[in-house]
Amino acid sequence: MTNEELNALPIAKTIDARGTACPGPLLAAKKAIGEINPGDIMEILSSDEGTKKDIPKWANKKGHEYLGTAEESGFFKIFMKK
Amino acid sequence: MCMALFSGSVDKLIGAGVVLSGSAADDMDVEVFVLLQGARAFIKGNEDKIDNLAEATHLKKEFFEALEKVNVPKWHEFFEQAKELTNVKIHVCSLAGKLWGGEKIEDFNELVDDICGIGEYITAAEEADVHLFI
Repeated sequence: MTNEELNALPIAKTIDARGTACPGPLLAAKKAIGEINPGDIMEILSSDEGTKKDIPKWANKKGHEYLGTAEESGFFKIFMKK
Repeated sequence: MCMALFSGSVDKLIGAGVVLSGSAADDMDVEVFVLLQGARAFIKGNEDKIDNLAEATHLKKEFFEALEKVNVPKWHEFFEQAKELTNVKIHVCSLAGKLWGGEKIEDFNELVDDICGIGEYITAAEEADVHLFI
């Protein structure tokens, strides 16, 4: 998906984990996933490079769907569907 | 996962905490066995007194400044969070506890689940898929 397509997705929950280093964003995502329904899309905002690989791998391992990562200025957004 | 936590230095405790966080995200069952030096950190009231490093000891000041700058949680906060998110059991070796003045469970902080003997650690190490010694 392009940045534009990702940013147009209907977001059920936004996690702003900017300002925390690994493993902060991963744990924030882990906590938040229990608060949304199957089929819902969650976006995780992070500026920690390790998160770019961590969350997609974790999402796939846990049976969720990693949708893509959109680059922003100084951070990025990771999109995943529960 | 089975983790032998021998070290009671703050850098290794943070390292152990980060690994526990990863296992918490994965919903792993974790058995932590606190051995010799590690037990000092788990004595009630010692959590924030631990400030010795195992490595790069000459850069202690810079290390602590960097931890603050990068907004890294305290070592015991990693452990607390992991325990909230997954099944992490923390066992303190009875010999280790005694060396640092901890004879009974109430001598230790709330992270500790029980006091154990070395046999329990060996059994857990035998049964675990992943075994770490820190």
